[in-house]
This record gives sequence, structure tokens and C-alpha cells, in this order.
Amino acid sequence: MVKELNISPVGRVEGDLDVKVYIENGVVTRAHTQAAMFRGFEKIMQGKDPQSGLIVTPRICGICGGSHLYCASSALDTAWKTQLPPNALLLRAIGQATETIQSIPRWFYAIFATDMANKKFANKPLYQEVAKRFAAYVGTSFQTGVVASGRPVEVYALFGGQWPHSSYMIPGGVMCAPTLKDITRAHAIMNQFRNDWLEKVWLGCSIERYLQIKSWDDMMAWVEENESQRNSDLGLFIRAGLQFGLDKFGQGVGKFLAYGTYLHKDKYNRPTIEGRNDALISSSGFFDGKNYHVFDHKQVMEHVKHSWYADVPASHPWNEPMPTPLPSQNLIETNFDGKYSWSKAPRYMGYAAETGPLARVVMNANPANKSHQIQDPLFGDIIQKLGPSVFTRVLGRMHEAPRLYEFINQWLTQIDLDAEFYIKPKEIDGQGFGATEAARGALAHWIEIEDGVIKNYQVIAPTTWNVGPNDEQGNPGPIESALTGIEIEDPHDPVEVGMVARSFDSCLVCTVHAHDGKNGDKLKSFKL
Amino acid sequence: MANVLWLQGGACSGNTMSFLNAEEPTVIELVTDFGINILWHPSVGLEIGEQVTDLMNDLIKGKKQLDIFVFEGSVVQGPNNTGTMNYFCDRPMKDWVKELAAVAAYTVAIGDCATWGGIPAVPPNPSESTGMQFHKQKLGGFLGANYKSRGGLPVINIPGCPAHPDWITQILVAISTGRIKDVLIDEYHRPKTFFTDFVQTGCPNVNNFAQKIDGHFGKRGGCLFYEVGCRGPMTRASCNRILWNRQASKTRVNHPCLGCTEPGFPHHDLVRGSVFKSLKYLGFLPQDVPTGEGRLKYYIRAGWEKILPTNKALKETSK
Repeated sequence: MVKELNISPVGRVEGDLDVKVYIENGVVTRAHTQAAMFRGFEKIMQGKDPQSGLIVTPRICGICGGSHLYCASSALDTAWKTQLPPNALLLRAIGQATETIQSIPRWFYAIFATDMANKKFANKPLYQEVAKRFAAYVGTSFQTGVVASGRPVEVYALFGGQWPHSSYMIPGGVMCAPTLKDITRAHAIMNQFRNDWLEKVWLGCSIERYLQIKSWDDMMAWVEENESQRNSDLGLFIRAGLQFGLDKFGQGVGKFLAYGTYLHKDKYNRPTIEGRNDALISSSGFFDGKNYHVFDHKQVMEHVKHSWYADVPASHPWNEPMPTPLPSQNLIETNFDGKYSWSKAPRYMGYAAETGPLARVVMNANPANKSHQIQDPLFGDIIQKLGPSVFTRVLGRMHEAPRLYEFINQWLTQIDLDAEFYIKPKEIDGQGFGATEAARGALAHWIEIEDGVIKNYQVIAPTTWNVGPNDEQGNPGPIESALTGIEIEDPHDPVEVGMVARSFDSCLVCTVHAHDGKNGDKLKSFKL
Repeated sequence: MANVLWLQGGACSGNTMSFLNAEEPTVIELVTDFGINILWHPSVGLEIGEQVTDLMNDLIKGKKQLDIFVFEGSVVQGPNNTGTMNYFCDRPMKDWVKELAAVAAYTVAIGDCATWGGIPAVPPNPSESTGMQFHKQKLGGFLGANYKSRGGLPVINIPGCPAHPDWITQILVAISTGRIKDVLIDEYHRPKTFFTDFVQTGCPNVNNFAQKIDGHFGKRGGCLFYEVGCRGPMTRASCNRILWNRQASKTRVNHPCLGCTEPGFPHHDLVRGSVFKSLKYLGFLPQDVPTGEGRLKYYIRAGWEKILPTNKALKETSK
């Protein structure tokens, strides 16, 4: 049995997820995820005011609340056929981007990097330096990174009043009408974020220099270009990540889905579902490992065969009935051939797909992207050369920070203080679809309004994509898949399992219970 | 020095995210400078899995002292009062809550879900959620009307969706530094120091409220009480005295107050016409009137103010 356990620090945000892992000869042979908490938000909204989602859905998740708001307002825009002034699209994009850039250092230091200070890596040459910087609480970069993460949401608060849990994005625009003071302060706060952390600690160079990187070879050359870059937190992460072998495990399903986000200020003034793809600045799409496919929300189906809801055939969210919860079990008593999670299993064109920052940067490399969309070949190259892994997933997420910083500043300069911020819409019945990219991946809301109240409201969160259970055909979800096949060096401290699950930034407090594949003895349970 | 255990039930982690934004003191300073010993917390705790189970058992058996038990999220009782919709460490969370609350010196409920059930408790309340000691306005909740912690206080309620980080950190510091006697609580068990003034106190639109000048979304100036459902005059909280994220508050950015520090949020249970609209009688008389004022008296006074000539200088706005 286990004598000591050093996965730290643990927990890490929201909800309860249990994972059962079977280990044989040091290799994970089977993995099941179990979401262990139910609140029934969709059911609460049924029969309520059509705008309920603006208040209720941000409270699904206190971490991605702004992203839920982006979806909820967009779903109503399409259902009510609103008109959106450019200022409104800019201020919504700024809200989404500040929430996401906040999450980048908070996630890296508080959730992910502390695992690199695990004793598993103690014999690696870079371990001392990694532990010095990334160890929980005492690491030299830990407090800097965590404190810096609070700055971008100050900008969110300037336009939304507070973060988390504002409802400032509404059908037809935004509530606020900022003044010169707000714009100036926002620029100043973002500059401080850049000076205190992004350039000084993270990159070790200017944002402009970093954004010249176009290929994996460029990236490696950048690391070695000078001491400042080599010794920056990013430089250290790349060198240590490769040295620790983080590029060797946690591949997952190899298929990626992004709904895209940041609707262009001049290209979505008449919101429609059909017009959405072309109006995005960060593009949408499905990448099957070889080819890119145009995103179509109608290809999304939810399966409940292994979820604690009454059986219904796999269906598109608009056609799904409200879920009927069934009795659940704790992890020990669960039969994994039957129902075993509160999470549903979404599929795209029938496939389990990974969502998240890596999926986004893969879409950014799509050669078909338009001139107003991000065109960045870097992760097209990295996914070919390295493939998906814990390492590439982290790199993909961190890669977004410099570009988001540039976008936020650019969008702030485009706000026209004399123009409109809101155009009052007419309330009508109908169907709507709103989507975005939360920090941790693709998020969408589907609404149906009938007789002036909500008839159906369905939410598929990024963690549902990544952490969902088996589908009707018995195919595993992305994290289940990414866990299968990994080598566990010390089954009493399976840090590899934690790192895989954390690389997806699963928005759940995960309890992993490791079981021996042969005798079923419980080795150890621990929190992710 | 105070041992703190923080658990989450039917939660969105919003109060934790808010807590991590704390500035004076920061979460890290709470630990290093203010004697807060965080035994475990879902986002910042170092212990894990069975260590957490062992820790909770040690606290329950009295082997370790639990000074402050913080609970975030609703107490999930469903289905059929089993609590199995929310397992934690192999048991229904509600069973842990009952046993831990029995040994805690002080029990603190953070956020609306923990205080009065919050959004999960909106009908039809699919998870049978309730608050620690209230269900909406009604005293009782999960622990019952008579519950008192070892320190002699009922559950200290720090409401808000989310609660402001300062409300949380200052109560933790008050307990750990022996100032708990300065924490007076009101009828809803809220610390009076934060929940005596109204959100309207410090709102830049109080002049417009007094002059009955309507505000609207996307416009500068004007009061949001009359048309878009602002609850600032009915909501006790310090949002306009202790700003959010050091910058703003809802009403300072033209966002109606949702009344999230009062039991019953979301008010009117999200019925049609209640979201970002002021419910009215006869199409013009607001159903909700400022706290402490009779309806009739308010209508007479407000009607009088409405017909008096407005002070145009106070109405001016600029970009």
C-alpha cells in the first residue's frame, strides 16, 4: 500500500470529478471519468423569463462566467434577431479576452506547474530550477503569477462592474457606456500586466519578438537566442517540459473542435447562426488529425447512455428533452458498464473531440482562415512534429497570452465613445445558438423560446467535451482516452494521471482513484 | 492562529474565484501574515484524496481543532433527501457538513448558495438544494433554526453571488485575531459591518433616483430602478463603498443591482418579465419599493418628485 503521496497542490477548481484508473504493469489499461455533482441548471430555466440565461448561466461556473454570458447573450441575439453596434461587439470581446488571459497565469502557476516540482522529476537536471520557481506558494514565480492574474479582470470590471458574475452583455449590446477614464485605466492596467509578468517574467522578450515565431524550429531557436529568453518562465517550461518527457504522454483522441470566438466588430452587426463562422476572429472548425472541416453546430450530438439520466437517443441539443436524473452511486459502488457520470458525452460528427486552447491554436493554423482571422501556422507545425501531449497542450494555452494582450489593446482603441453601445431588441419566440471559446475550450448554449418563456435551454461546456464518459458506441471521451496507455512510474503517486487531467484544465475537482488492474485493490485515491 | 477548512457543495467556485482576487490582504498574506491556517481548500489545499478524508475524520473526532468551517455552494439534499447528487470522499457531502458543523468553533456560509440556496434552489429545485441555516428568507435550512457553533454563534452568512473578497477575508481575520465580538449579525445572520448600508449608498446615480430620471442600457446617466429592475434601494451591501476588483461595481457601469446579498436571489424566481425589467402595478407603479418605506408613502413622495422641475445641472453627463 501507499506510504506517501506528494501530488501538490491539489483540488483545483470546480465541481467534483472522480476518475477510476486501472493500472497493469505500470500502464493504465482503462480509465473512466465520473462527474459527481448535479445541480440541474437547464431544468431551472425551463418556463422562465427568456433572459434568465444572462443571470443563471454565468453561475454555472464561476471561472468561465464571462464566457457563459457571451454565449447566453449571443443565443438571444440569434433568437431575437437583434442588431449589434460595433462598440458592443468590441466590449464583449474584451470581456471574453480578459477572462481568458486572467486564466492563463492563474492556471499555469496555481494548477499546472506545481506538478513539475513533483519528486518524480527530482533526478532531472532542471528540477532544482523548476522547483525554485514553480513550487506551490514558495516558488519565486508562484505569487507573481497568481497576483498578476487578478489584473486583467480589473479591466473586465471597468465594463462589467465586477468579475466574476456580471451580466453586462445583453441581447442588442452591452449595458455600459464607458467614458474616457475607463478606456485609459484599462490600457494602463493591461500595460502593468505586461510589464509585471507577461514580458518580464513569462517571455523574457517583447511581445513583438515572440509573435515572430512561426514554426517549432523558430520556437527552439527563440529559446536559445539569448539568456533572457532561455531563462524566462516560458524558456524554462520548454526546456524542462522536454527534459521531463511531458511531450511523450497524454495524447488523447487527436481530434480537435473549436467554436471560435471574438466576433468582429463590423461583421456580426446582424447576428445569425449561419453568419457566425465568417465573423469570428479566432476561427472555428473541426480538425480530424489530417483535415480541417467547417464547423456546423448541427453536427453536435449528446449521448446519455453512460450518464445518470433517463435514456434518450443521442440527439442535437435543440431536440434533446430536459434531462431526467436517475439514482447515482459513489465511485466504489459504480458499475462502469452502465451509467457512471453526471456528465453527458457530446460528440461531433460522431467523434469524441478535444476542445481547449490547443484546439484553438490548431484552428488558427488553418490555411483557409480569412484576412480578419488569426493566421498563425505555428501549431499546425507543432501538431505535425510533436503531436498532442501534455506539453503541447500547455504550450498552446500559454501561446495565446501575447496575442490576447495585443487584441485587448487594439479593441480598446477602437471603441467609439460617441457611438451606440446598445440597440433595444424586440422580444420574439424562436431558436437561438450562442457559442464562444472559454479559457478551457468550446462552450455553447442552445435556447428555444415559446410563448415568451424558455421552452428548452441546453448548455454544453468545454469540460463536458473533455471529461465526458463513453458514448453509445462505447468510445471513450478525450480525457478517458488520454489517460489510457500512460505509464505510471510510481502507482502510489501517479502524478502522470494528474498532469494529463490538469493539462485539459478540467473544470472540476477531480478525485482519481487508482486501482490495480489485476486484483482490484484500491491503491490510492487523491484529488486532482 | 485559526484552522480553516473550506468545502464546496453545489457550487460554481465563484466565491473561491472572488476570494483569489483578494488584495488587502491577498490569500497568500492571509496565510503568512494573519495566522490563517488553511487545512484544506478545493483550489489551494495541498492535501489530497484520502488525506482529506482522514483530515475530516480527525476534525470530527476532535483530534484536530476546527476553528472555522467555511462552506461554499448549496447543501444538495437530492434525490429524496439522500444527498447522493453530491458525493464527496465517498459520502454525500451533506453528511460531512452536519458532522463538521457540529465540531466547528465558527461556521461561515459564503455566497448565496450556501447562505440561502441561491440559484440551485430556484423552483423546481432539481437537486433539492438549501442553504446552511436559511432556505430563501426562512430560518432553518439544512442545519436547523437552533444550530449554534461551539463559539456560540449561528452560521455567519456572507451572501453575494459571489461574495466580495474583502467580506470573506475580513471575517476570517476577525475570528483569527479575536475580534469576533465586533462582528454583529442581523436578522439574516449577515455581518452588519458590510450589510447595513444599501447598494445605493455611493451609487453615482442617487441624484437621478431622487429626481426620478430613468436610465437605460448603453446610456450614460439615469437611474436603473424604474425600468430595468435595479435593486440598489432594496439591497444591503457595501458594493459602492468597497469596490469590486478595485475598480467598479455593477451600478457604476450601468448594470442594475440584482439584489444578490438579500435572501431570495434571483428575486421573483426568474418569472417572465422579471429579468432586467422592473415589475409594475398598472404599468407604472413599481412593485418593489425601497426598503423601509411603505408602498403608498413611496408612491406619493415619488410622484411628487417626478412632477417637480428637475435640476438640469445634475442630469448632465459626459463621455
